[in-house]
Amino acid sequence: MKFLCIPCDEQMVTQADGIMPKEKESIALKFKCNKCGHSIAMLTNKFETEFVNKLGVEAGGPSEMANTPFAMMGSTLAQGKEELKKAAPAEGDFEWTQEAKDRIQKVPFFVRGMAKKTVLSFAKERGIKVIDGALMDEVRDKVGM
Amino acid sequence: MKTYDDLAGDGGSNVIEQVVSQREKLRKRLDPIKYKISVMSGKGGVGKSSVTANMAACLASLGHKVGILDADLNGPSIGKLLNVPHSEKLQISPEGVQPAIGALGIKVMSMDMLLPNPDSPVMWNEGKDATAVWISMMESQALRELLTDTIWGELDYLLIDMPPGSDRIDNVRDLIPELAGVVEITIPSQISQHIVSKSITKSSQLGVSIIGLVENMATYVCPHCNEEGKLFEGEDVEKLSKDKKIPLLGSIPFDTRVSRQSGSGKLFFEEHSDSVTGQAIRQVVDNILKFIQNKSN
Repeated sequence: MKFLCIPCDEQMVTQADGIMPKEKESIALKFKCNKCGHSIAMLTNKFETEFVNKLGVEAGGPSEMANTPFAMMGSTLAQGKEELKKAAPAEGDFEWTQEAKDRIQKVPFFVRGMAKKTVLSFAKERGIKVIDGALMDEVRDKVGM
Repeated sequence: MKTYDDLAGDGGSNVIEQVVSQREKLRKRLDPIKYKISVMSGKGGVGKSSVTANMAACLASLGHKVGILDADLNGPSIGKLLNVPHSEKLQISPEGVQPAIGALGIKVMSMDMLLPNPDSPVMWNEGKDATAVWISMMESQALRELLTDTIWGELDYLLIDMPPGSDRIDNVRDLIPELAGVVEITIPSQISQHIVSKSITKSSQLGVSIIGLVENMATYVCPHCNEEGKLFEGEDVEKLSKDKKIPLLGSIPFDTRVSRQSGSGKLFFEEHSDSVTGQAIRQVVDNILKFIQNKSN
């Protein structure tokens, strides 16, 4: 799927930051025309989301998840051995509360890396070290679709 | 206005490159494995996993390097059959995940090894909100990860213990186009043969080679006098193999010791290879090896 800015006749590019889709249900993707700066959003329903997820790829390019063994199972199994859960990519200096961890895991896999990046950028900007549900709500209010 | 082909990439996601990269990782992992064989049954409860485990034991006893992927994600039993302790910790490194080493050095990877407790079911984060499409999608991805991220190393044979039914063969065919073939397990009952015949037809229509049919629990062997008697009333499995034009690889008599957990943690074939049932398993394996040899020539 490609997006074209009609007035500029230019391909629109995926915005890897600044998304926080509705958990479980929707993929929200932003595309921007680098010529005129116009942005659009693509929003999917639950069935479209499931279809895209089946590819096992990530929007905005592969994240560190792509090089983590059993990444999808480790992050998506409701119950998994401790070492499986620990193998998930590290979050740098940030600590995620259990609620925040649970919520980010519910973001569709296709855009989870981008949503995570958005939350981390938001936290970094504000010098916040602990990511919790309230922060995620704040991010949603600001950039959510 | 520009057309689809005029636009070079997809705007930054590089979806095609990601899919190609997944395929390359899978190839790199599977190329050192000479033969991949799927063991299917169409119908549950025919002893498919026990036959798979004992065929693996027979292959290993003949000097082959063998692995088993337990593709029965929701009803995994291979780990238990090969005496892999559930408490065994997963060894995860950037290179992948080490398989467990079961009886006779057989390498094992199973969903059961990923779950925290022996009675933990496979549930995804979506919980009760998960739709059937979602679950099917997650299972497809799980199968890909189990194949791709397990450090199988060099193997002569990788046996894939499929779940009952024939729905996962599409997945396996996509992931392993070089699949040597499928072994179909049935029991003599009419209902089993009815369902297995559908599974055989589906595999044929998908262009998957069928190595042959195995009749499990063909007879009952008296442990006292070694006399064989009928266990099921049903049609001749040989007729099914003739109708479907696939070889009957062998008939394995029922032996209560097959499913019994031995005190030594050994598989049935390890301890009873000379028994009537052990010899039948050996015959099935010999016929599989003949098929592989003919295919390779």
